Amino acid sequence: MTECPACGAPVAADDQFCETCGATLGNAAAEAHLVAESEPPDTAVSTQPLPPVSAAQRCSCGGEIDADGWCTVCGLRAVSERDHYTEQVAPNVAAVCDKGRVHPRNEDATALAASRDRIVIVVCDGVSTSTDSDVASLAAARAARDVLERAPAPESRTARALVELWTEALARAVAAAQERAVASAAAVGARENPPSSTLVAAIADGPVLVAGWVGDSRCYWFGDDGATVQVSVDDSWASTQIAQGTARTVAEADPRAHAITRWLGMDAPPGDPTCTSVPIESGGWLLVCSDGLWNYCSAATELRALLEDDIARIGDDPLMLASELCDWANAQGGHDNVTVALAHVPASPTLPPGSEPEAGTESIPTTEPVPVSDQPA
Amino acid sequence: MADWTTEVFENEYLPADATDVHAIVTVTCQGAGTAGQSGAAAEVIIVDTSGSMSMPHDKIVSARQAAAAAIEEIVDGTWFAVIAGDNTAHLVYPDRRALVQAGADTRAEAKLAVQHLDPGGGTAIGSWLTEAAALFATVEADQRHAILLTDGRDESETPRDLQAGIDAGRDMFQCDCRGVGEDWEVNELRGISSALLGSVDIIAQPEAMAEDFQAMMRASMGRGVADAKLRVWTPQGSELLFVRQVGPTIEDLSDRAVQVSELVREYPTGSWGDESRDYHVAVKVPPKALGAEQLVARVQLVVGDAVAGQGLVRATWSDDSTLTTRINPAVAHYTGQAELASVIQEGLAAKAAGDDATATIKLGRAAQLAAETGNEEATNKLRRVVEITDADTGTVKLKRDVSKLDEMALDTSSTKTTRVR
Repeated sequence: MTECPACGAPVAADDQFCETCGATLGNAAAEAHLVAESEPPDTAVSTQPLPPVSAAQRCSCGGEIDADGWCTVCGLRAVSERDHYTEQVAPNVAAVCDKGRVHPRNEDATALAASRDRIVIVVCDGVSTSTDSDVASLAAARAARDVLERAPAPESRTARALVELWTEALARAVAAAQERAVASAAAVGARENPPSSTLVAAIADGPVLVAGWVGDSRCYWFGDDGATVQVSVDDSWASTQIAQGTARTVAEADPRAHAITRWLGMDAPPGDPTCTSVPIESGGWLLVCSDGLWNYCSAATELRALLEDDIARIGDDPLMLASELCDWANAQGGHDNVTVALAHVPASPTLPPGSEPEAGTESIPTTEPVPVSDQPA
Repeated sequence: MADWTTEVFENEYLPADATDVHAIVTVTCQGAGTAGQSGAAAEVIIVDTSGSMSMPHDKIVSARQAAAAAIEEIVDGTWFAVIAGDNTAHLVYPDRRALVQAGADTRAEAKLAVQHLDPGGGTAIGSWLTEAAALFATVEADQRHAILLTDGRDESETPRDLQAGIDAGRDMFQCDCRGVGEDWEVNELRGISSALLGSVDIIAQPEAMAEDFQAMMRASMGRGVADAKLRVWTPQGSELLFVRQVGPTIEDLSDRAVQVSELVREYPTGSWGDESRDYHVAVKVPPKALGAEQLVARVQLVVGDAVAGQGLVRATWSDDSTLTTRINPAVAHYTGQAELASVIQEGLAAKAAGDDATATIKLGRAAQLAAETGNEEATNKLRRVVEITDADTGTVKLKRDVSKLDEMALDTSSTKTTRVR
């Protein structure tokens, strides 16, 4: 046990935030340990972004930052790395996670990994009515990413085998994320609103994209062959209504639209994530985002048009594009935290040596999203 | 424990190169409780017994009843006394120079004592305040409050004596002042009540006095938060243009600032009951780049040493004119109400000095502002002094044969504001 530098309360060695005052501890040692442990042997590019959790204790003018988040001398807003951070783990894989314009803090989180054989993107959206959801969401996103990043490469690279492998890995990843979300809830003690979070994870591996989720953060696929799909189906009131025949625009405009029916956290309904897959041989763009973006542009075709406009203007750097989409969401009002993760998936995936692509065009099994029966109490 | 909330009303968006930020900060206290709960409370009732109080005789009769009505409202355990004032101060109750604790017996004794208030002599308000301060000093109390009634000008002592009385009371007790009849000076009483964090009003008819005294004492007994301060932080390099209470009445607080540190000032606000007060804070800051954000003021309500509530006043520079041209209704409303108060006072002063031209312009502007801001009380009182030809353009005619009481009523109510519609 050590002490929180802000309030002096005891904190555990690997705590990222102080339980007592909420100060970010930015525990570099714990992060480094996590990196060493998780580093896969065949990592082609760096997979570990800077930990986005160290708080700026001083303003650029040298003044102290008040608990209200503003400098006590010059009045500038404190820059919190948790409020806005970017990650780029490969030239074609990047994400932006931003507080938005309205919410007081950023409860979204994202974690990425990229290696020769796979791209992993995880996005979590902490539930804003809960306490310390920003802690839970980041812990959950990283835990899920770590599981997916470390999952052993499959022996068979048929599409069917890949989908089976990743569906199973996604269940483990969500279980790990759930464990971390519960642990962070336990860390903040018994409260009325234990932290909770959504999670969506997507793996692009050779010919398939496999996604799993709980809640309403989304995965979209924009294939170079023209495929334009919302891969995930929200676990939400709105999507239940849409499934029952209500028009999307009507359902999503309802005040209850965002009531999610599944989430991670202490009081989460049990069960594996819903998983599905799509073929991606043609290459294209994988977009994973929180509702801070899709609130303003829900339909896959519209979102694709938005992305393609940006590509036409500023090129195909995924970090610049993610920033552009994030800025766009903020320009629409930024009413929620905004996370945009993008990967440009090449048409001919690079395969590990000795593993040749299967001849022929085997159809890819697509697991249909299963309706969720677990309703919140 | 009282619950405090603060709300900030402003347009935080400034156009390029703009420097002035205006915000209305509303502070609301709920669950204040009862006076004396955090320490002792003390009350002194000061009744003018100068000779003029017998002209007409019902003035002194009403004053006796009013004092008794106020005494009846004093809650058990509160330290209190009653002073009669003429050329000097006389203790009416108790019979020695001390405060006694309220209870059924002492309230009954005091009510009996005030029935013997008899007029005679002059008016020396400063000496009354000095005596009240001396009485208050005899007990340890968290909150001290006085009610002062007079019917005349402070003519039996020097202005210096009056100032000495005000200075003795400042930061020691709060004082609500009431003038009865038309022979007292509105500005004189306003100066006292303002310095002593109290209210001022006219009691036009003596028979209304008892009800007013009862209400004043009841309000004072409901102020369970003994003392609170408004603490204002502004950033380095900025200039605090003014801090003004704008609701429920207008009081410029700028002169009361106590510089706590380079960037922090505190303003005494006295005791609080269950109520809301609005403050207008104006700060000048060096302009920043478009898109830049800055905290312009932290406005805090401080009870003891604890910050009970905080409102943040912000600025964001923007080139979006749909944002920067928005006028915040609260800021606009209270800016208008503050101007209303000053044009009424200036207009009445000009009228008294025989400068009808200035009076017509000022009171015309007042009629316009009162209509714009929906201040019906001001409009009604203005109508007794001027004929409003066109409120939209502020066109008025001065009335002939205006009663002095109507002018005084307009003057005392000039600082009362209405809430934003």
